[in-house]
Amino acid sequence: MAASAPAAHPKTASRLRELVSNQTFVLFLVWIAMVVFFTAANHIFFSSDVAGNILADWGPLMLVATAETFVIISGGIDLSVGAITGLSGVVAAFAMQDMTTAGQGATLTLIVGLLVCIGVGLLVGLINSLLINYARLVPFIATLVTLGAGEGLSIVFTGGAPIGGGPPQAISLSVPWLGPFSTPVLVVVAITIVCWLYLHKAKFGRYTYAFGSNSFATRAAGISTKKQITKIYMLSGLLSGLAGMFFYLRLGSGAPTTGAGLELDAIAAVVIGGAALSGGVGRLSGTIMGALILTTVTSGLIIIGVAPNWKQVVVAVLIALAVSIQALRRGEGKAS
Amino acid sequence: MTDALYEVRNISKNYGAVTALDNVSMKVRAGEIVGLVGDNGAGKSTLVKCLSGVHQPSSGEILLDGQERHWRSPHDAIQAGIETLYQESGLAPQLSVGANVFLGREEMKPGILGKLGFLAQKSMDARAHADLERVGIAVPSSNRSIAQLSGGQRQAVAIGRAVAWASKIIILDEPTNHLGARQAGEVLHVMRAARDQGLGVIFISHTLPHVLEVTDRIVVLRLGRVVKDAPTSTFDQESLLGTITGLIAD
Ligand SMILES: Nc1ncnc2c1ncn2[C@@H]1O[C@H](COP(=O)(O)OP(=O)(O)O)[C@@H](O)[C@H]1O
Ligand SMILES: [Mg+2]
Repeated sequence: MAASAPAAHPKTASRLRELVSNQTFVLFLVWIAMVVFFTAANHIFFSSDVAGNILADWGPLMLVATAETFVIISGGIDLSVGAITGLSGVVAAFAMQDMTTAGQGATLTLIVGLLVCIGVGLLVGLINSLLINYARLVPFIATLVTLGAGEGLSIVFTGGAPIGGGPPQAISLSVPWLGPFSTPVLVVVAITIVCWLYLHKAKFGRYTYAFGSNSFATRAAGISTKKQITKIYMLSGLLSGLAGMFFYLRLGSGAPTTGAGLELDAIAAVVIGGAALSGGVGRLSGTIMGALILTTVTSGLIIIGVAPNWKQVVVAVLIALAVSIQALRRGEGKAS
Repeated sequence: MTDALYEVRNISKNYGAVTALDNVSMKVRAGEIVGLVGDNGAGKSTLVKCLSGVHQPSSGEILLDGQERHWRSPHDAIQAGIETLYQESGLAPQLSVGANVFLGREEMKPGILGKLGFLAQKSMDARAHADLERVGIAVPSSNRSIAQLSGGQRQAVAIGRAVAWASKIIILDEPTNHLGARQAGEVLHVMRAARDQGLGVIFISHTLPHVLEVTDRIVVLRLGRVVKDAPTSTFDQESLLGTITGLIAD
């Protein structure tokens, strides 16, 4: 039996070393450096307005990136999150348009819109899990199928145009009132905290890590892996549906293109945050920083007048950096 | 016949065109260690997976305490008191020692937090540590991840988990693989202790001296069939090897 650290000294030293090799902390430093850099390049960057914009971008990205965090830790991938975001926003927009035309009140209409988004998300998530559990498709293919179907349906339903005509109060809900925070952003913060608790402190998260770490061992331990997969992909759908509502509140309409490519940003945020696509590794705190860095870069480059396409280059470099940190840590034999 | 604690009768199992098990019958009594030996591909691991609920046999019966049982999943067999150490790793490397020992039977926080799904991690870590020590296995602190342990320590955790939870049957598929002589000796000791507590133990190994040393009875599988089932005292190393390879007639 190895004795635990004998004195306070080595403990502090190892704490320090842990902090430096802690992905979230490193990302936090990177983010601070970015804020300093963009502010130095253009002082306008350091304002409540810009912060509000960054947070408004961060909100929906964080929702789908949280979804992707659970999925990737379980060893899977969900390519359909962006398509779900678009489809749920479109379907909800039709419902809210109808209700508004029929003279229903704004509150009731928005609640119905929210429920429709949640419903569409859960339904597509369920379809993903059925394709994985029973049609035996690997997650990549299963969610590629629903990505295609979801995007296609959004365009078929709308003819490609945004669907407005909902309650005019929708957009005013997206105005920041607590510093740079709007109500939808605050809701995302609350959802993120709850998801953090369930990922890191609850049985649901434990089984998510276990399945991604060793699916045979998880099943052999008597855990229903089919049930766990169903729960994970339905959660992913649910959060993506909420992102659809977030965009609706921001734009005042639901458009088929809203979630296009969002899955790639979400996966980038998760990977930058330190999760491994092979499963079993990752922290939601890393994803939070990953999403914040991505949205900060987007706004920052625009404000300092750099062509937005540079964003892709910066993101690529960040992904390469994050993955090398991970590889280094794996070399030390350090698990999450 | 009637004194068998766990028994299979005439079970067969095919993987597509491959017949891995062909009309296999065997049993284990309470307080007995049965050795299961055979060449690579003889069907030992397949039999283990039928006994533990990972696979459902294509035909045949499984009886526990004389009652026919059907395991739909490992969950059912675990609930019935059957613990298994698989040849392939049964541990989740990214999870901690404590999380692995409690995988599938997590202890929840008391009250409303537990109802909401939150884990009593501190308590599980402490109990995992105590359980492994009680079994006689020394492992580092419960909150280290399996990936940080040596091969021998990992095997120790897997065996400790099986022994700690088993209430009737414990099945160990090549538990001494990757272990040094001293650690292998500890595993044999752990098996004897389990037998002395009245558990039925099924021990699969290629290391014939271990099998001859610790078992009460030996079942020999060859190409999916039982070719011999006899008390250990009737074998010596040479005759056992001959039976496994088929050089000695059945
Ligand atoms: N999952 C599987 N799919 C197909 N064939 C398998 C599978 N597992 C084992 N087999 C085959 O079944 C036979 C018995 O294998 P196994 O039970 O692993 O033997 P042992 O453990 O005695 O070495 C072998 O021919 C093996 O190739
Ligand atoms: Mg085997």
